[in-house]
Amino acid sequence: MRWELSAEQQEFQSVLRDWLARRCPSSRVRAWLDSGDPAEFEQDFAAEGWSAVGSPEALGGQGGDLIELALVAEELGRCAAPSSAWLGSVLAVPVLASTPDVAKELLADNVTTVPVVSCDGPPAGHALVESGHGITGSVRAVLGADRATRLLVPVRNSGFVLVDTESAGVVVRRRQPTDRSRSVADVELAAVQGTAVDAEVGVLADMASRAAVLISADALGVAERLLAMTVEYSLQRKQFGVPIGSFQAVKHAAAEMLVTVEAARSIVYMAAASVQAGHPEAALRAAAAKAQVTARVSALADTALTLHGAIGYTWEHDLQLYFKRAKLTERLFGSPSTWNERIATELALVP
Amino acid sequence: MDFDLTDDQHTIRKAVAELAGKFDDQYWMAKDRDHEFPTEFYDALASGGWLGITTPEEYGGHGFGITEASILIEEVAKSGGGMNAASAIHLSIFGMHPVIVHGSDELKQRTLPRIVNGDLHVCFGVTEPGAGLDTTRITTFAKRDGDHYVVNGRKVWISKAMESEKVLLLTRTTKFEDAAKKTDGLTLFLTDLDRDHVDIRPIPKMGRNAVSSNELFIDDLRIPVEDRVGEEGQGFRYILDGLNPERMLVAAEALGLGRVALDRAVRYGNEREVFGRPIGMNQGLQFPLADSLARLDAAELVLRKATWLYDNGKPCAREANTAKYLCADAGFQAADRALQTHGGMGYSEEYNVARYFREARLLKIAPLSQEMVLNYLGSHVLGLPRSY
Repeated sequence: MRWELSAEQQEFQSVLRDWLARRCPSSRVRAWLDSGDPAEFEQDFAAEGWSAVGSPEALGGQGGDLIELALVAEELGRCAAPSSAWLGSVLAVPVLASTPDVAKELLADNVTTVPVVSCDGPPAGHALVESGHGITGSVRAVLGADRATRLLVPVRNSGFVLVDTESAGVVVRRRQPTDRSRSVADVELAAVQGTAVDAEVGVLADMASRAAVLISADALGVAERLLAMTVEYSLQRKQFGVPIGSFQAVKHAAAEMLVTVEAARSIVYMAAASVQAGHPEAALRAAAAKAQVTARVSALADTALTLHGAIGYTWEHDLQLYFKRAKLTERLFGSPSTWNERIATELALVP
Repeated sequence: MDFDLTDDQHTIRKAVAELAGKFDDQYWMAKDRDHEFPTEFYDALASGGWLGITTPEEYGGHGFGITEASILIEEVAKSGGGMNAASAIHLSIFGMHPVIVHGSDELKQRTLPRIVNGDLHVCFGVTEPGAGLDTTRITTFAKRDGDHYVVNGRKVWISKAMESEKVLLLTRTTKFEDAAKKTDGLTLFLTDLDRDHVDIRPIPKMGRNAVSSNELFIDDLRIPVEDRVGEEGQGFRYILDGLNPERMLVAAEALGLGRVALDRAVRYGNEREVFGRPIGMNQGLQFPLADSLARLDAAELVLRKATWLYDNGKPCAREANTAKYLCADAGFQAADRALQTHGGMGYSEEYNVARYFREARLLKIAPLSQEMVLNYLGSHVLGLPRSY
C-alpha cells in the first residue's frame, strides 16, 4: 500500500503554511489572545478563501474533502491560531447539505455558523426541545459559539434548527479556557424561533468522527511545532560547555517525540481518508486517532516542557501557547478514555 | 527511627554472603541447565545451621525473626544463586510457621529438628488447578477413616515436590458447599509424600530450573491423624498466618536478584567499550541503571519496615503486600535493564543475566500476581469496593 498527499495537496499545504507564517506569527497570536478578540485573524483567513477549502463547491466551498480539512487543521495547530470559529463552521457544513443557500452564506460570505454541541464529550445531542413556543434549553461549552452569527441547534426528534444569535431568547455566555487560543461559550435558549434544517439521520455520528479527525490533525500540527522548538532549543542551550542536545537523555527524549509525530501523522490521515470514504471502520479509526494521537501529543508536550527547563515555564516563551493547546486538545470533544470506550464496545470483550 | 542493622543482622548478612559466594556462576548455570537440585549448596547452608534461622531454639533452631530470615534469603539470591538458591531453602526458612504455631509438640519434635539439620525436605501443597488464588475453592478432600484420613485430589505449582520427603498439605474436610463459612472446613497436614499414592509431574517452565515446579495427582493417600496440624477445619486460618511473611521473603528474593543483576550490569557497563569508550558512559544506559538503583533502594525500605512490623507483632499486611509489589517490580526491571545493557551477550547464557531475567519474571506472578496485590491494597487498605 502506498498513500501520500497528491502534488496538489502538498502544494496547498506549503502555500497555507507560508501564508500562516506571515499572517499568524506568535506576536500577533499573542495580541489576539491578550485582547480576547481574534476577529482580525478570522476575517483575514476567510477573505483569503482558506475557510472554503475542503467543502463541496455546490455548497459554496472550493472543493476538496476531509483530507484538505485535516491539512488546514494541522497548519492551524502548528501556529496555535485562534481557529474555533473555523472548526465549528466546518463541522456545521455537512448538516447544511439540504440548504445550500445557508451553506454558501457560511462558506462564501463568512457568516460563521456553529453546531450547538458540547465539546465536553463527543458531539451528540438533541438535549434541546421544541415546543409550540420555540426551542428551549441550554448546552454548555459550545466550541466557537461566541464567534458565531448563527447557531445550528440539534433539536430532539426533529433534526436541526438554524437560529440567529441576535434572536430574542438567545444568550451566549463566553467562557475562558486555559488554552486561550480556543473559545467556548455556554448557550441558553428560551422559546427561540428559527428555521428548520433537514438533516440525515446519523449526521451527528458523522460529525463526531469528523471532529475526532480534525482535533487529532490539530494535535499533529502542535506536536510538529513543539518538536521543532525543542530541537532548536537543545542545540542552542549550553550546559557543562556543550549543547544540551548532545546528552543522550535529551536526544532520546526528542527522538521519542519524533516517533509520536510520525505515528500521529499516519493515524490522522488514515482516519481522515477512512471517514471521507465512508469505510466500514471509519468511526473506529477516527476514535483511535482521537484517543491515541491526542494522548500521545499531550505527553509529548510534557517532554517538550521538560527539555526546555524553566524557560518553558515562563509566560514570555511561546511554548506555553502550544503546551496549553495540546492539553485542551486531549479533552476537547471527549477524553482519550471516552474514545477508547467507543473502541472497546466494538471489540469482542465481556461487556 | 533507626535504620541500622543489629550486630546479629550484620553478622548474618556477612556470613551468608561469604558462604553463598562459594557457589559461583558456573555452579548455578550448570544446575539450571541440567534441572538439578543444588544439593551441595543446600547442604552447606544446612551444616552452617542456617536453615533453622527462624525455628525456635527448643527444636534446634536460632529463633530469629523474619527480618533476619529476609536478610539471609536476600543474600542468597544476591550471591548469583537467584531463585534457584532461594527456592531450595525457602520452605525450610519460614514455611514451617503454621506447624510451629499450631502443630502438636509430638509433630514438632518429629519434624522440626530434621528441617533444621537439612535432612527433611518439605514442599507447600496449597494451590490447585481449579482454585488458583481463590484458596477456599480447593477441592482436594481428606476423608476421615478411623485414625487416618484418606486424601484424593490435585495440586499444581508445587515447588520442590520432586525433591521433598514431606508436604504441608491443605485439604478440605468439609466440602465448600457444606461449610458454614467458606473459610471453614479446611484442614492442614504435614505428611509423607508417598510416591505410591501421589504422582508428581514436573512442569516444563521458563526458568528456575534447578528447583522443580510440579503437578500432584493424589490418589487414596492415607495420612495418620498425628500428621494433622492443629484442629480439623482450621487449616485456612493457619495458612493465613504465614502469608505476610511469605510475601516478605519473596520480596527479599526479588530484591537480591535485582541487586545482583544491577551489579553485573554496572560491571559490564564499565568494562565493555564501544565507539572507543565504556558503554556505561552513555546516558541511555547509565540512567536506567541509576533509576533501578533508586527503585531497589526504595523497595528495600518498605521491606525492612514490613519485617520490622511483623517481628514487633504489629499489623503488617499493607507493608508486606507493598514490599512484594515494589521489590518484584524493581527486581524485574533491574534484570531487564541488565540484559539490555549486555546487548546480545545478555541474551546468551554466558553472562548469567538471562537467567536472572527469567527468574525475576516469576516474582511478578508468584506467590501471588502483582494484580492481586493491587486488589488487596485497593479494597482492604483504601476501602474501595472489592473488584473480584
